[in-house]
Amino acid sequence: MKSIEPALVIGLFDRFASRFEAERDALIALDGKVGDSDLGLTMSKAFVAARDRVHELEQPSLGDLMKHAGAAISKAAPSTMGTLMATGFMRGGKALSEASVLDISGLAAFWRAYADGVAQRGKAQLGDKTVLDVLDPIAQAYEAQNTDGADLAIAGQVAARAAAEALEATKQMVAQHGKAAAFQEKTVGLQDAGGTVACMLAEELGLFLNEQALS
Amino acid sequence: MKKFLNKPESFVDEMLEGIYRAHPDVTYTADDLRCYVTAKPVEGKVGIVTGGGSGHLPTFLGFVGKNMLDGCGVGGVFQSPSADQLAEVTRYVDQGAGVLFLYGNYTGDIMNFDMAGELVELDDIETATVVGNDDVASSVVGEEHKRRGVAGIFFLYKAAGAAAAQMKPLAEVARIAEKAKTRTRTMGVALSPCIVPEVGKPGFEIGENEMEIGMGIHGEPGISRKALAPADAVVDEMMERIFAETDYAKGDEVAILVNGLGGTPKEELYIIYRRLGQLMDEKGVKIRHVWLGEFATSMEMAGFSISVLHLDDELEPLIAAEADTPFFQHFAR
Repeated sequence: MKSIEPALVIGLFDRFASRFEAERDALIALDGKVGDSDLGLTMSKAFVAARDRVHELEQPSLGDLMKHAGAAISKAAPSTMGTLMATGFMRGGKALSEASVLDISGLAAFWRAYADGVAQRGKAQLGDKTVLDVLDPIAQAYEAQNTDGADLAIAGQVAARAAAEALEATKQMVAQHGKAAAFQEKTVGLQDAGGTVACMLAEELGLFLNEQALS
Repeated sequence: MKKFLNKPESFVDEMLEGIYRAHPDVTYTADDLRCYVTAKPVEGKVGIVTGGGSGHLPTFLGFVGKNMLDGCGVGGVFQSPSADQLAEVTRYVDQGAGVLFLYGNYTGDIMNFDMAGELVELDDIETATVVGNDDVASSVVGEEHKRRGVAGIFFLYKAAGAAAAQMKPLAEVARIAEKAKTRTRTMGVALSPCIVPEVGKPGFEIGENEMEIGMGIHGEPGISRKALAPADAVVDEMMERIFAETDYAKGDEVAILVNGLGGTPKEELYIIYRRLGQLMDEKGVKIRHVWLGEFATSMEMAGFSISVLHLDDELEPLIAAEADTPFFQHFAR
């Protein structure tokens, strides 16, 4: 499978919403170890709002679909992670504004813009133990497979695996941002909560691409 | 904590209800008290939106009105308004000519204003951004982008507001705000801390006979803490920093803002101004405009700040222009 129509991409947001609703308590527990415990609530609110918004749109372009999802997240979840995710979808949507269908080059551009937008807005650098430490490897995975001209479904699996490995690697990092930074060394051994969110996005996208390939 | 309030958590919204009752020239949009806008937007004019935390009146919302600002996102005490609130304010004030975001250099505000700019792009609203960073004490020369925005933003509001009222285009209003910013310097000093209502106790401690030079408007540490000196010596020390960064020629003109932080009597501000006038006389610099009182406060903090705008032929008439807001009136002479 080489590409997906925008109307079908709406289904991706159904997956995001159900996943974050299902993981709400797990994310609350994870965030509670070094943060303020609201991550599960805000992410589930954020992606329910994104899902509802994209279903209201009439024949959106791929870029508009992503941008409106970002705008809905921004409104529903004005926390730090909500704003970062909103930024990612809006910047990613901008990168897709010329695209008529979702393909591997579009996914590479989307995730690069997503990661760069989050880095810029959150003033984070790689290795700071943030969502960026998982987003950047996702972008890199799609970029590499774009170069190889990979099949979409396979690319999704490779990127999801890269995200999982990158999340595992955050356990060895020391937090530099947010409330977690106050705990510094105590954060070693824990996977980053924001990175966990990014990993879930990559996993659901991978499953979605696979599902589309089979249908 | 000793304050006149009902519940700490309703401090901001009840304040806003009071303001809307007292001043029919301002109102709110999006069914949100914290989306504060002028009741009289001017068709075809560039809109100017500011925003920031509560606890600084008359900054920020106090300068929404004729020939100054058009809207303000109002945050909780010392907290940024949300991107969504800022976007709602922007949609309301846009009159087809675009909107200038003009606010102080604080991380949360930058993040939310940038986000708001992206949100309103979906509605085809053009925005430009100028971030005030007048606080000399918060970083060195060459690192001005790290400096906080404090009381001197008043001059940016005044210059940009007058330029927009002349129906100049967005790029021109932004250029003028940027120019006023590069020519404005502020130094502050504090004698006592402030209390955030929902916290209920002072944000820091300072000795009975101590002062903190360069204190930020949320109680951020300054550059030095020392024994309280006579007023003239304090002014001399503060102005030394401002003079070090400005090339004044004899005959140059400035606008001056002597700002109380909330807990300083006006009498003391005039004692400060007396010395300031002497120093400017020694330099041969003419004080063309002066404002003295409370413009950017920190709740009940005792202290003051001095802001100086180095005027030129373009900025002077804009600073001189009349303005009328619920918290500030200026009659052009």
